Amino acid sequence: MTDARISRLADLIVDYSLELQPGQVFRIDALDAASPLTLAFYHSAIRAGAFPFFSVGLEGTLEMLLEHGTNEQIEYIAPQQWEEIEEIDAIATIWSEANTRALSRVDPAHHANYLAAQRRLHNRRWERIAAGEMRWCGTLFPTNAHAQDAAMSLSSYEDFVYSACHVDTGEAAEHWRLVAASLRARAESLGSVKELSIVGPDTDLRVGVEGRTWIAADGRYNMPDGEVFTSPIENATEGEIRYTFPAIYHGREVEDIRLRFEGGRVVHAEAARGDDYLNILLAMDDGARILGEVAFGLNYEIDRFTRNILFDEKIGGTMHLALGSAFSQAGGSNISGLHWDMICDLREDGEVYADGELIWQAGRFLHEPVPAPAAVEAAELA
Amino acid sequence: MPDLRHERFAQVLVDYSTSVGEGDLVLIESTPLARPLVTALYRRVVQAGGHPEVRIGVDGAVEALLAGGNDEQLGWISPRLRGDAKEANVRIAIEADSNTRGLTGIDPGRQAVFARSRAHLRDMTMERAAAGELRRVVTAFPTNASAQDAEMSLADYEDFVYRAGFLDEDDPVASWQALGQELARLAEWLGTKKELRVVTEGTDLTVGVDGRTWVPCDGKENFPDGEVFTGPVETSVEGHVRFSFPAPHGGRLVRDIELRFEGGEVVEAHASEGEDFLREMLAMDEGARRLGEFAFGMNDSVQEFTGHTLFDEKLGGTVHMALGKAYPESGGKNESALHWDLVCDLRGESEVHADGELVYRNGEFLPDLF
Repeated sequence: MTDARISRLADLIVDYSLELQPGQVFRIDALDAASPLTLAFYHSAIRAGAFPFFSVGLEGTLEMLLEHGTNEQIEYIAPQQWEEIEEIDAIATIWSEANTRALSRVDPAHHANYLAAQRRLHNRRWERIAAGEMRWCGTLFPTNAHAQDAAMSLSSYEDFVYSACHVDTGEAAEHWRLVAASLRARAESLGSVKELSIVGPDTDLRVGVEGRTWIAADGRYNMPDGEVFTSPIENATEGEIRYTFPAIYHGREVEDIRLRFEGGRVVHAEAARGDDYLNILLAMDDGARILGEVAFGLNYEIDRFTRNILFDEKIGGTMHLALGSAFSQAGGSNISGLHWDMICDLREDGEVYADGELIWQAGRFLHEPVPAPAAVEAAELA
Repeated sequence: MPDLRHERFAQVLVDYSTSVGEGDLVLIESTPLARPLVTALYRRVVQAGGHPEVRIGVDGAVEALLAGGNDEQLGWISPRLRGDAKEANVRIAIEADSNTRGLTGIDPGRQAVFARSRAHLRDMTMERAAAGELRRVVTAFPTNASAQDAEMSLADYEDFVYRAGFLDEDDPVASWQALGQELARLAEWLGTKKELRVVTEGTDLTVGVDGRTWVPCDGKENFPDGEVFTGPVETSVEGHVRFSFPAPHGGRLVRDIELRFEGGEVVEAHASEGEDFLREMLAMDEGARRLGEFAFGMNDSVQEFTGHTLFDEKLGGTVHMALGKAYPESGGKNESALHWDLVCDLRGESEVHADGELVYRNGEFLPDLF
């Protein structure tokens, strides 16, 4: 018996997130464990009149490349990938691992080389997205590995994932249109802020955001979604932050990270566990020590830490600040092979000030944003 | 601990069949069912200095396209398919089906559209292979679907597959080289012949091969292997033939195919099951009614029919002929989007004559010919 939520999730992303049009070239990126959702995407895309194709990998090959490959092999990019990226109108990426820790014993330097090489392709993808030439959305297909990270059974985890995406019922697209209106109003009201000050346990950090664009993450790029984010001014971050949740990067967990920033750059980094890995990643390139993103997590139906950034960064009441590559559409210019989201739980003690005024306390904004016209329209339609 | 049979399988495919070397872009194409072999191949390719790229198919997608796609979607070629056809130096394709009859309910006319739209990619692959720019091997990983077709348990079928590739022997490569030498002598001798006549129950067919090249197949393009083939003279085929083995193609099965040829063209076609599909394939294009290949199966480790062409056409004591596209290296000129191998068992009462002389009886060449 097929889980109806799987085809609803594919339909939601094809119709709402990507707005896939007849004749558009659509690539579905996945690992073999995601087969049911991969096939559901294919069906949705065919129905939409698009041209779908797959880029499906086999779980377990990357670690072999990193373990046995020379640098030349690790850094290799097949020539046809460059042509392909120019022709694609939309990509759906399905994260679906059979073992989230498969890279734990791989030499971190090899992994960093791999990521640095992939960065060029990745950058080109984001250039095209920023130019409005291409759409992308990332989602997750629940596996036992992800459920295990969340300390849940597979069936409870499936419920968690699909309810975070609102595909329990057939009304998913309507729901996300309402969420989008409310997030856009919030993003607009943050647009006039010059500096954010984040205060919490062992945390007192000032982040410059003047002139940057706040973006409503409303289910177009990620599913589930529910955050507002921007890219901070590259040389303005000052102070200290302590990340209460473990930060995970490509399957490795770093616990209790503390960072000190001066002039926008990390000048001191330590972690209770995974300190070496943290410092190797920070040394990846010039941009790895600079914040590429600051964001508020606003999906209050995601109420727990599940060791997966797709969900964790949207936990209602948290903030996340990512080291590494910035979003050009937010006005950011930092370039790096790294983009590492680290999450700070502000649900109990956290406060955020905008240009000196308290705007956020104990995981909630203190005032509703003035609704943008689009929000009113969507609410009336509903 | 890696499974030794998969390791050995991978080793033969990478080191012997495709001779992967430093800098080769190597595509490993299969389904998730072949995971152990794909994984072993990936590791072996990395160790050989190549750049492995995995292409995993999604079960049900072709059916979804054929059943639900419009004509434009059906004929569309993805940038991935095009780029792979152009750039790869080595392709290792591993058949590993979860259901060999999954397309039985599809309109054969739509399958013909699908095949026609992809023929130029296949032709490009053949040309690049003939020009030495590409090494490619097609093999099969044992699955329950194939075991079921063979009417075997999966364990028995695995033994059959590994035996057919000489992978149960200490030095499989040495055995392939030895068979290759024998087939090369046979190919050279057949190259001196102008016309072959095949006679067995339901079959009396003459095939012109004058001036064509016979190609010995020793595990480099198919694995397992063991045949010699050529491309018949396009207008020369005369008579009738009955294919005793059921013929799988395009995700379905056609049984008891009987064809009558005049001037090289099929003028009459019957099948006891799947006749509509047979007719649709013959109507695919002009070349689909002509033979593009004629071959002798010479692998004596394949002794039973299993319903899988890769194995059946190698069966020692059979001949097979393909409707459609000819391989350029054989001198055959027939063009078609179709290439459908049909196998005829000669192990019973049967004879093959070469230029009027009896050369083959009841599944074996007469001794001391080559």
